[in-house]
Amino acid sequence: MISSLPNIKLFKAIITLKERVNHKGKNTRNTLEITMANIENIFVLIKQVPDQSAKAGINPDGTIDRAKAKRMLNPFDRFALQAALHTKKTYGGKVTAISMGPPAATEILLEALENGVDSTCLLSDKRLAASDTLATAYALHKVVQSLGKFDLIFCGLQTTDGDTAQVGPQIAERLGLPQTTYCEDFKIENGKVIARRVVEGGHETVKMEMPALITVANSYHPLEYKSLRGARMVQNLVRNKTELDKYIKTVTLDDVGADPAKCGLKGSPTIVARTDKVSELGGSCIIKQGLPVEQMVSEVIAGANILEFVR
Amino acid sequence: MVKHKKMAEEQEKLKEIITPSNKEVIVICEQQKGEVKPVALELLGAGRDLANKLGGKLSCVLLGSKLDEAVKKLIAYGADIVYVADNPILENYQTLPYRRVIVEFLESFPLPPHIVLLGSTTTGRDIAPRIAAHFETGLTADCTELDIGPYEHTNKMDPDKVGLYPGCLYAIRPSFGESLKARILGPWKNPQMATVRPGIMLPLSPDYSRKGEVKEISVNLKPEDYRTELIEIVHEINKSINLTEADVIVSGGFGLGKADGFDLIKELAACFENSAVGASRKAVDIGWISYQHQVGQTGKTVRPKVYIACGIAGAIQHRVGMSKSTTIIAINKDPDAPIFKFANYGIVGDVYHIIPELIKQFKSKSSGEKEEKSLVKQG
Repeated sequence: MISSLPNIKLFKAIITLKERVNHKGKNTRNTLEITMANIENIFVLIKQVPDQSAKAGINPDGTIDRAKAKRMLNPFDRFALQAALHTKKTYGGKVTAISMGPPAATEILLEALENGVDSTCLLSDKRLAASDTLATAYALHKVVQSLGKFDLIFCGLQTTDGDTAQVGPQIAERLGLPQTTYCEDFKIENGKVIARRVVEGGHETVKMEMPALITVANSYHPLEYKSLRGARMVQNLVRNKTELDKYIKTVTLDDVGADPAKCGLKGSPTIVARTDKVSELGGSCIIKQGLPVEQMVSEVIAGANILEFVR
Repeated sequence: MVKHKKMAEEQEKLKEIITPSNKEVIVICEQQKGEVKPVALELLGAGRDLANKLGGKLSCVLLGSKLDEAVKKLIAYGADIVYVADNPILENYQTLPYRRVIVEFLESFPLPPHIVLLGSTTTGRDIAPRIAAHFETGLTADCTELDIGPYEHTNKMDPDKVGLYPGCLYAIRPSFGESLKARILGPWKNPQMATVRPGIMLPLSPDYSRKGEVKEISVNLKPEDYRTELIEIVHEINKSINLTEADVIVSGGFGLGKADGFDLIKELAACFENSAVGASRKAVDIGWISYQHQVGQTGKTVRPKVYIACGIAGAIQHRVGMSKSTTIIAINKDPDAPIFKFANYGIVGDVYHIIPELIKQFKSKSSGEKEEKSLVKQG
């Protein structure tokens, strides 16, 4: 990657410098290591979700017909993707985007490649249908294990189709990793992640050993990384199926050594037993319009009975 | 007829399955500096009802440091048993140490508890999934209603689970942008777990003469639990950001037209005793106000007693974050804005005329009240 070239140079320069220093003395060594983050592999987990703002595929009863619905990258995952690319740009390493879903999910992996990730992996298997968060996290942790060593895993805070925020921490639990959820800013110093997480009424800062998992809050304001090279590459990939397979590795449960009994319907301890449409509210609003402002305001204040909260 | 008979026979065959549990309902409480968080008391209110229906005990787990007062409060609010880990290491929430103590505690039961509840706060949503994954049990996020009832599982695709399950936790939550309410169950394994949205359940009225048991939990941290270190906690002195605990939220949207509009929003919020400033996603995206103020699907879910929406159209993404407010007052110049469909009170007009008038009237009302009070004192 063009963008990582200066990093490699810097890395080499540091190595040579470090060797020289080692000949002379010892104390300076630590300070040099600070500049070297030694990040090798970064994983980012992304999901394709139905676009709920588009009308297509939304059934009258409020459920979603996933086959017809417009698909998109989970908006929360965009922050995770940018955080992963930021880590690569700043500290080095390679980014692998991982997803689980039907073959159509290659669309979001192509998007990730366009943004500059180095490789991608899609877990696609019919036996995964109807997986809840526990089963999903089980399957994804197996994919992560199959891909070998890593320093950091980034996940979006939650998805717009599930809204649970559970899969990230459940993967961390399965892999025995420390985690920072709701992370809105981070840096790597002395081989540790220093992460700021949003909490009610403020924030806290956590220092964390690696490997670790981070779920990225949408208050994370990254520099947008776009890769011209990535975009060109994807243009070519779309035309060339065999080339495509080099960048998008598709795996099944057997490939990653996952137990099918712990996946899909079987492996899910929860089920949706019933759904009810929430009745549309309407008609109950008392609306003031076209009257003098003073009168409208005083009528609303009197009706809404809110004076008890006034200072 | 034949078909009916067949179905009836199949129904009879459904055997009752009781998943082993000690019938206990456990609430995992949050505290800050020894002070119990409101969501913990709300969970006790909800948990009391579930425990009564199950015929089990309601207990709670409290981790922290210097917790004597907090323990008394939890009993007053309905806990039969309070399990306490009072240890300086646990003063502040940290994922790995808290996870260790709670997992070991739950493992210490000969029969697992029936239900474990947490708040769906940044803490609850951080730790609950880890506990559920450890026990490989079900967890439903962000519930707005809880109940107990039976469930017949007849899905032949999943034959191992077929049966009649009494005493299931009904974890009810909105889904698909709140257009649907889903009832989610997982009676095959206990504890059945759920996180519950703050501000929804009602706490019991406290009774400090109530008696309850207090039991100590042992704390045995392992070296790997120290892989994280909390280096700083910052509570924004700016109270206007504490959206989840405010009685009144005044929110501004794109309809304000400019960043300065939030000065007026803040001035209106300042009229109230316990208030906060909210914003729509559009106003945040455009940079008029920081993300911490954002209400809605990609921001915070709030349920204040009064929500005043100024220049907010009321798109579904915003609505899901605030529609549970007790009273919603909307100010918008567009009479067709969706917000008027679900607000309780609406004023159609220019926010720059209406907000100053609201401020004026609130100020005169509050000084009027003070005069009345001082008159009473004199009398």
